[in-house]
Amino acid sequence: MRKISMVVVLSLMMVIGFLTGCSSTTSAPKTGSGDVAPDVKTIQDRGVLNVGVKVDVPKFGYKDPQTNQIDGFEVDIAKAIAKEVLGDPNKVKLEAVTAKTRGPLLDSGDVDIVAATFTITDERKKSYNFSEPYYTDGVGLLVKKSAGFTGLKDMNGKTIGVAQSATSKKAIQAEADKLGIKVNFLEFSTYPEIKAALDSGRVDAFSVDGSILQGYLDDSTQILPDRFSPQDYGIASKKGNDGLAKIVNDTIVKLKSSGELDSLRQKWGLK
Amino acid sequence: MVGPFALFKWEALWRDWPVFAKGFGDTILASVLALVLALTLGIIFGVMGSAPWKIAKFINRIYVEVIQNTPLVIQVFFLFNGLPHLGIMMPVLSIGVVGVGVYHGAYIAEVVRAGIQSIHRGQIEAAFSQGFSFTEAMRYVILPQAARVVLPPLTNQAVSLVKNTSVLALIAGGDLMYYADSWSSDNLYYGPAYVTVAVLYLALCFPLASLARYLERRAGAAV
Repeated sequence: MRKISMVVVLSLMMVIGFLTGCSSTTSAPKTGSGDVAPDVKTIQDRGVLNVGVKVDVPKFGYKDPQTNQIDGFEVDIAKAIAKEVLGDPNKVKLEAVTAKTRGPLLDSGDVDIVAATFTITDERKKSYNFSEPYYTDGVGLLVKKSAGFTGLKDMNGKTIGVAQSATSKKAIQAEADKLGIKVNFLEFSTYPEIKAALDSGRVDAFSVDGSILQGYLDDSTQILPDRFSPQDYGIASKKGNDGLAKIVNDTIVKLKSSGELDSLRQKWGLK
Repeated sequence: MVGPFALFKWEALWRDWPVFAKGFGDTILASVLALVLALTLGIIFGVMGSAPWKIAKFINRIYVEVIQNTPLVIQVFFLFNGLPHLGIMMPVLSIGVVGVGVYHGAYIAEVVRAGIQSIHRGQIEAAFSQGFSFTEAMRYVILPQAARVVLPPLTNQAVSLVKNTSVLALIAGGDLMYYADSWSSDNLYYGPAYVTVAVLYLALCFPLASLARYLERRAGAAV
């Protein structure tokens, strides 16, 4: 019996060692040359900036099934950042992320930055560096036309499908409290699952950021005019990679002041 | 540098423990009910699989082959999103019970069938010669003997069943995994969340697995 518990303890220690080992390998600061921060130097030595983007959000980050190319507003921003870091906007490697994977991928170092409709919250700021907001979007509601809803006020007692890792649940809840109505939530890990649940009638509304809803609009559904609690999107990077965070933030500030961000927004037909 | 296991993330989890307690409770409830259903189905279909009637064997094969050879995830997804299109809207927790129960029922049916077939043919022939019907022979002669043989693999099925209730997370099922996903994806404190969930599943499954080993040893000693 004692032997068995020894084995258990030992293997637990190995697991913990492995987990914590993973999280601390990249934390040791290397001595950088000149005024380049060590985390930026690592990327420059690699010669390519790894960026996590969405691939299922038209206009922001969308992989065209015909061309297999990922394009969008956020992809263009990522290229602008790559130009600052590496001097070449094309030295980006885009990696598909979801609301659920973007955090772990940043922590593991698989991606350097995430530009994926990532809402800035105080809680999240404790774990990641966020840039200044580059876009503000409100939470919207996609419903079946046949349901006859005109707004959240008609949805007392209804069920709303939201995405895990999205802030829409809190936004809708706050709005529902204001209206004095009660709504239930079901959380799903991907957007297509929420759409399937809307189609089957499991949920009465599909609620995520308005920009994302556009991609799921079809003949039988409509987006209600309601928009709740505007949310700021920021570019996230790992805490500790502060040199990179600074460049990212400076780039956003520069894009804003030069008007380039506005023209990018127009290019992609975003308000 | 903030690691995935930073202390403040554990503190947040500790503050929100009722979330995990709720999920844990629902996981236990779904597991127990699914286990009852799986055992019932498993015994009925297991007996059918070793019955002398062709049609019973045929039904047993269809059930076992269809269920064992399709992924549980798809079966559950069908119950959740497919049935409503046919006008059947099952509550999520009962989808967990039915989905996981039917799935493991098929495995248990095979375990039971193997157990019955491990009992010497002479036993059932002797029972028939005494005027027992097939059902009576099963009930009073064969199943009590087979029970000892099938208990260890049955307990292993119970362990898998508990773990498989985590598919409920995919369909917003309110189980332990769902709440862990929900909680950790909101604040991105996924490190403590999943470690805690793993420990809770371990706390459920380890005693069951130990029971299986104990039964196996006892069965081995008795043979």
